[in-house]
Amino acid sequence: MSQVMLVLFLWFTSLAQAADTLYLYNWNNYISDATIARFEKQCGCKVVQDYYSDNEEMLAKLAAGATGYDLIVPTGNAVEALIRSKQLRPIDKSKLPHLKNIKPEFMNRFFDPGNRYSVPYAYTVTLIGYNTARIQALSLPTNTWALIFEPRYLKKIKGRVTVLDSQRELMAAAMLYLGYDINDTDEAKWKQARDLILRAKPYWAAFNASSYIKELTLGNIWVVHGYSNDIFQADADAQAAGRPFRIASALPREGAVLALDSMVLHKTGRHPELARRFIDFMLEGQNSAELTNLIGSGNPNQEAMRYISPEIADNRAVFPDASVMAHLEMMRDLDRKSRRVLNRIWTEIKLR
Amino acid sequence: MSRTEAHPEPPALAPGEVRTRWIVSTPPILFLSLFFLAPFLIVLLASFQYPGEFGGLAPLLAQGDSPDHGLTWENYQFFFSDTLFAEIFLKSFLVAALSTLLCLVMAYPVAWLIARSPKGRRDLLVLLVILPFASNFLIRVYAWMIILGPQQALAQGVNWVLSALGQEPVNLLFSPFAVLVGMVYVHLPFMILPLATNLEKHDPLWLDAARDLGATSWQRFWRVTWPLSLPGVFAGSALVFIPVLGMFAIPDILGGTRDMLIGNLIKDQFLGVRDWPFGATLSILLTLAVLGLAGLATWAGKPRRGHD
Amino acid sequence: MTRPSPWLLLAAGLVYAFLYLPLAIVVAYSFNDSRLNAEWVGFTLDWYRTLFNDGEMLLAARNSLLIAFTASLSATVLGTLAGMAMHRYRFRFLPFLVITPVAMPEILLGVSLLVFFLQALHLTLGMVSVILAHITFSIGFVAIVVRVRLHGLDEKIFEAARDLGATPWQTFRWVTFPLILPAMAAGMLMAFALSLDDFVITFFTAGVGVSTLPLQIYSMIKIAVTPEVNAVSTLLMLLTLVLVIAASRLDKTFMKGAA
Repeated sequence: MSQVMLVLFLWFTSLAQAADTLYLYNWNNYISDATIARFEKQCGCKVVQDYYSDNEEMLAKLAAGATGYDLIVPTGNAVEALIRSKQLRPIDKSKLPHLKNIKPEFMNRFFDPGNRYSVPYAYTVTLIGYNTARIQALSLPTNTWALIFEPRYLKKIKGRVTVLDSQRELMAAAMLYLGYDINDTDEAKWKQARDLILRAKPYWAAFNASSYIKELTLGNIWVVHGYSNDIFQADADAQAAGRPFRIASALPREGAVLALDSMVLHKTGRHPELARRFIDFMLEGQNSAELTNLIGSGNPNQEAMRYISPEIADNRAVFPDASVMAHLEMMRDLDRKSRRVLNRIWTEIKLR
Repeated sequence: MSRTEAHPEPPALAPGEVRTRWIVSTPPILFLSLFFLAPFLIVLLASFQYPGEFGGLAPLLAQGDSPDHGLTWENYQFFFSDTLFAEIFLKSFLVAALSTLLCLVMAYPVAWLIARSPKGRRDLLVLLVILPFASNFLIRVYAWMIILGPQQALAQGVNWVLSALGQEPVNLLFSPFAVLVGMVYVHLPFMILPLATNLEKHDPLWLDAARDLGATSWQRFWRVTWPLSLPGVFAGSALVFIPVLGMFAIPDILGGTRDMLIGNLIKDQFLGVRDWPFGATLSILLTLAVLGLAGLATWAGKPRRGHD
Repeated sequence: MTRPSPWLLLAAGLVYAFLYLPLAIVVAYSFNDSRLNAEWVGFTLDWYRTLFNDGEMLLAARNSLLIAFTASLSATVLGTLAGMAMHRYRFRFLPFLVITPVAMPEILLGVSLLVFFLQALHLTLGMVSVILAHITFSIGFVAIVVRVRLHGLDEKIFEAARDLGATPWQTFRWVTFPLILPAMAAGMLMAFALSLDDFVITFFTAGVGVSTLPLQIYSMIKIAVTPEVNAVSTLLMLLTLVLVIAASRLDKTFMKGAA
């Protein structure tokens, strides 16, 4: 009996976690294991990660009252929501010696003027990914959203297209193609975007924000509306598997969505000092570059460029020219009334 | 479920047992009241609240300059403001009904085989039914992604037949078909087991009697076995229909462009679009619909129990 | 006993094939020498090696087992009490409390618990919230198995014990408990398996640093499902197989209880 009690005791004590642990609430696959290991060694602590695959998922869990995360890596609009709902801790920039590494164009953006609460981490661009062999054979244009919205192109690739299962992202692409601002909340324009989407929908295979990477690699899906780093991943996988085609990405000329992810400190985190050290650690060129080399994300860090493999650094879809960069837009957070209007439009899109 | 069986009344309580009765009953009642009933009531309350500006719920009492506090019918009005959401309910019920029907058709021969097998083999056959649903359900769904893929034998074969008939090729993956396959696959054991338990209890003499009276095999099934198996059919149907109704992972993984079901809609409200009150409203309406249906099924099933 | 017709055998055989085709793929691909996990390339044991070096996956496995153990144990105690209460005392209210969580769509339970934990209890989501949630949906299953067992017993045994002057506790300890022990064990194993496999309710109630195997697998389905997932599922299936066989050895009513 005493042995049973001992086992029980051990089970229950393992419920309590070790003291010096950094709780990181991060995107799936958004930091290299080597980076984590190096930080753990340097600080003599443990890093525990939880993952989300959508800003909304993360915001919902925080709104529900999830606590205990020291550091989160939300996208701009989510940073805005977190600041306005007073969930973040200000960051003492004087304690971040490596903050100077960040390129000035990524500082001081609308969601956090003066960067009181956030430090840029990495960015992705939402663009078009495609199977080079298939698209060349069909001689389709890739530099325009028309490829995923216009039936005259879609006819040739019916059932071989996926779009993101994200109401904000898909609406943004449709708004851009229609020539509107992605942050326009005018219901009439949203309805135009809805009609555009509904016209194209019969040609799409799925709304998909996850398995499209694999389907691209396998050659089942030829054109996707997706994130630049996912498309990079698909290409890397295709090469590793010796596929007879490459996966490339293209920035549509109508513009695209830029998602700048930043590191922020959550108020309920119990290790703000450790989190600050982590932020500065991630601002070092080599550590920041490791992420880009792993997943092909865009990098706002000037110093990191030295460590980034040339193939990625030369990819204009990941590191656009300054002129193109000016064309990229960031999403703003929606108020609750607009959210509900969009919610109904989205339900309609999904159902019809 | 065991509710369909008729139980003898337990004897009256001895005087000393009254205290025991409370000792035995209090812990589960307390626990379930706290962790099932109370959450349910909170969802009910939430369905009458305003959504918070940044997610969650708006406060019940006035706070600062926010005009939205207190209770409202707004969420229910939003649901009934057009037919859109009702259509999703209807569609989900149809998918659930179709999945249940397919499960029933597929479960019957297996259940019959189990019921008619000798003891030792029967246990093995039952174990074989239980085993797949004991493995992780996401992985089984994922395996269907592989099987239904466009470059696999199944899709190639189907499209070969279609092209021979002069039809356009189709995608099996990311389609309502894939969702249905996933739903049926995951829930099939829940239909087989109660059905087999029921069929086991049938006396083979009844079938022999029917045969002696000159009934064909179809008549023996339709006039004897089927009516007798109805309690099992009802139990199994409930165990398939209800989970299918709330499922969101299968449409997420296997579905295409028109496969949103209530489960997905509810999940989105909480983990997608930050509209908890509407999610709560959908939950309450779904619960009402399920309870209503359960009531209907009990009512429909009652007269049949006499056969059991 | 009439011999089953060949058509019936064929139909049943096809359904069994339907049940096992995906499982065969899951197991086979865990030995597949391709990261893509979509077509057969060659045999390897690498994924099992990767699995045993994957700290997060092992942590998730540990969490899953810890949660399943704690939740099934608690659910067995509460479920047994509930089963006894439902059998012996005629509370109209109790069957509703016990059966409804089993019969309700999982997502409703998950969502309502999420709101309840955070808004009413101000409980930080974590291991405890997951365990409480798992107990809640497991109680019903245990209670049903125990009640079925109690109904199968002869009431005269308990009357005899009482007539011989046994207190309620003595009756329970020396008569009822040994008789329902197999049902309790079967119920506990079922709760254990349900907890180990639960995704929906865990998805809503899990918090910081608490990932379970199903959650881990779901996040991998979203990014890169390497055959490591197949390897962990194959091992999980083996574990469940052992549990189910143990359960069916312990109590014949397990098979019925599972329904």
